[in-house]
Amino acid sequence: MANEFHGQVIALLPRLRVQALALTRNRAAADDLVQDAVANALAAQNSFTPGTNFAAWMHRILRNRFISTLRKQRETTDIEDVPAGAFAVSATHEDRLVLKELGNAVNRLPADQREALFMVVLQGMSYEDVAEATGCAVGTAKSRVFRARRQLQTWLAGEESAEATTEEQRTERARISGRSSERGGQRARNGSGVGEHHLLA
Amino acid sequence: MDMDSSDSSKPAPSPKAPKRKAERAGEDAFDLWLQRGLHQLYDDVAAEPIPPELMRLIEEDRSRRGK
Repeated sequence: MANEFHGQVIALLPRLRVQALALTRNRAAADDLVQDAVANALAAQNSFTPGTNFAAWMHRILRNRFISTLRKQRETTDIEDVPAGAFAVSATHEDRLVLKELGNAVNRLPADQREALFMVVLQGMSYEDVAEATGCAVGTAKSRVFRARRQLQTWLAGEESAEATTEEQRTERARISGRSSERGGQRARNGSGVGEHHLLA
Repeated sequence: MDMDSSDSSKPAPSPKAPKRKAERAGEDAFDLWLQRGLHQLYDDVAAEPIPPELMRLIEEDRSRRGK
């Protein structure tokens, strides 16, 4: 039983790292957060009921840990990392620019939207699991992912407002959104930080 | 003869339908692009080896509880 628990923790570490990065936007802070969350989980393992959703339980611990750290250092200024994938040598120069811009835009999303988006898109979690892991209703989880997608689409297409252009323009821009906008990236770089306050509310 | 009456019973196509369709197509294309982009950005993060100190923390707890 103990062995099974530890095996589950180890198997989940890659996903926890991605969730931590979604919350912190900073590699070093993400590593610290995972370490702290694992320590908490090991200490609290007797409170886990075998047969229930381990991933959701673990994600919840990590999230709570992040929120309590955030409360302690409310005004921390962190350096927002753009993942190394943006600098991959195999990508063309244009692709690297696009990925960097995407990374910046993702970092600009409110933390709760970014977290839900990563869980669904990167980790393949169901909306039900996202809801359980983040302590919200299924409809809220769906809405967070939907709003994150549409917000990114708006930013990356260089639009101030998704409603401000014709449907044809939006379709075309979405298709080539990779190439389209220095402006969106500039705004992302100039962004005023990200809505961790959503998590503290 | 009857054709006229059956035709007139069909609901007129909504002028908004093609617009909505185009919008959905744009969103679907973007969502696919986004998925690919996010994987390119973050898959490396997930694939990195586990830091040794974290592994040690887990293994020490495992052996302590296994006793």
